[in-house]
Amino acid sequence: MKKRFGNLFHLSSRGIKQFIFSSLIASLSIAMAGGLFLSTWKIKEGAQKSFKLSSSGFDAVLGARGSKLQLILNAIFHLEASPGNLDWEQYELIKNTRGVKEAYPLAVGDNYMGFRIVGTIPSLLTEHEWQEDTQYELNRGGRVFSESNKEAVVGSFVSSRLGLKVGDTFHPYHGLTFNESSKHDDIYVVVGILSATGTPADKVIWVPIKGIQHMEGHASEYANSISAVLVKFKGIAAGMELSMKYNRQGNQATLAWPIARTLAEFFKRLVWFEEILKAIAYLIALMSSLIILATLRNSMNERKRDFAILRCLGASRSFVTQVVLGQSLIISFIGALGSFLICFLTSSLASYFIRKETGVMLEPFTLDLNAWYVFLTIIFLGLVSGIPAAISAYRVDISKNLQHTT
Amino acid sequence: MSLLKVNRLKKSFSSPEGENINVVDVDNFALTSSEFCGMRGESGSGKTTFLHLLAGILSPDDGVIELEGQNTVDLNSSEKDSLRAGTIGYVFQSFNLLQGFSCIENLKLAMSFGSNYSESYAEDLLKKVGLAHRLSYKPSQLSIGQQQRVALARALVNKPKLVLADEPTGNLDSKNAKNAINLLCELCRETETALLVVSHDERVVSNFDRQVDWNEINNTDSEG
Repeated sequence: MKKRFGNLFHLSSRGIKQFIFSSLIASLSIAMAGGLFLSTWKIKEGAQKSFKLSSSGFDAVLGARGSKLQLILNAIFHLEASPGNLDWEQYELIKNTRGVKEAYPLAVGDNYMGFRIVGTIPSLLTEHEWQEDTQYELNRGGRVFSESNKEAVVGSFVSSRLGLKVGDTFHPYHGLTFNESSKHDDIYVVVGILSATGTPADKVIWVPIKGIQHMEGHASEYANSISAVLVKFKGIAAGMELSMKYNRQGNQATLAWPIARTLAEFFKRLVWFEEILKAIAYLIALMSSLIILATLRNSMNERKRDFAILRCLGASRSFVTQVVLGQSLIISFIGALGSFLICFLTSSLASYFIRKETGVMLEPFTLDLNAWYVFLTIIFLGLVSGIPAAISAYRVDISKNLQHTT
Repeated sequence: MSLLKVNRLKKSFSSPEGENINVVDVDNFALTSSEFCGMRGESGSGKTTFLHLLAGILSPDDGVIELEGQNTVDLNSSEKDSLRAGTIGYVFQSFNLLQGFSCIENLKLAMSFGSNYSESYAEDLLKKVGLAHRLSYKPSQLSIGQQQRVALARALVNKPKLVLADEPTGNLDSKNAKNAINLLCELCRETETALLVVSHDERVVSNFDRQVDWNEINNTDSEG
């Protein structure tokens, strides 16, 4: 039995060696189809999950009248521009509203080397739990900035990218994108490096809110304005009540609440992109099935004589059929492994760029149950593609395919 | 005792023009256990078809082929596979060795379809045919004569009762042809295997005590 299996494998792999180029193309196209499908799905799942977990422990964002999504992207993920400013009084008002557990003002508008500088109050970094029972931590030797000094706490990602360490100084630059000519005269001292959290907090530079408000070169009206307020409620009732107050009855500010639902709606908008990628993956899968089919058909034409010899030696019809199916199994197995590799590479690449752009860290690539389903589907498709050639092997005419007749 | 008995065996094919061509029409043919027989006949006269019928590669239109008392015509496909794997050894003019496999692997592969797998026996056979030093050589690395010796060893590796040799010397020069026939007879004698060699070459057939003229036992006048 072991010998029979060994011979089966030897004969199947020989067929692949004989048609190595087309076999590799078939495996590669399977790997691309499977890899594209897996990565699309893995990145989507990972991004949805990670973005939902990355609300940094807040329930809502209060900002200028406008899009809720823009508010969340700006205040939580530090992406896009702020839709406008609020007065400091709005912060005081919501902070003192019944049902509001925590409120932190944010002011944005400057950057250092392309990384956003976000003004806030020190208690965001000392008291707020960005996830249950977890507060922000500073690397050894650091401390949180003081409210009235030109001091900064640097996110871990920024620190690693720019090499900033405690004691370093820097000049902020005006605007959200780096422009060498828009340097402020103010000088900030790094007093702490935030430990990595895998959230957007890692990719910004935190400074006292007064620093942004009173930055040299900023218009005087900024001195009393903020970009947004991050809010945590005591319970869901406060969220509903304030949502009604700001979004339905008021016309000065928008309360983006709940954050998770707004993000879910955002991801729904991206479904079309996912569908296109899936359609491409299906097309490539179809193409790779056809390549396997063509490869095995070509191989069959050349190997009919081998199969006739085998049959003459006593090999059963099912044995030669298995040889062909084994060949398609090996091609699809290599393709399936390749699809994991492609998925791992693209996920890692996507993870890097998502982290770079948003600070959100995606979960690393893991072989979960769904990945194995994809693996088995690839193997199944490979075997199905091998069936026409296998039937041809099954039907091989021994007499006709043995050379020389007398 | 008869090992092989053929009665009223008929096989015809359709020509591309749709004409029915009788290729084999043998009333009687028999071979006893351990008997050697040389069958002479011209090329294209239906000898290979006859051997294919005996080996169960082709099914006859009519007639009986009894091998060890069993009518092989009635066997199903897998029973015929077993017959070829265990009871019948086949030698081809063009050797038909599997090119991707070494000498020893060619024998082991044939053995894997039979019931008595023994690597040492396969090695012994290759030693007997003088290829002890070429076990791991691929067919393309061997001379024509050496390839035929591997083919002879392969035909006997499953200890068959009957070896069918179809123009076994057709691709060999006269010296190698003589050696191949001597070797084949020697191997079959040692293993008490019956041997039926068909050839158009009188020099090959003359090596056997029993000689049969294909045209005398085959009642067709066809050239196919």
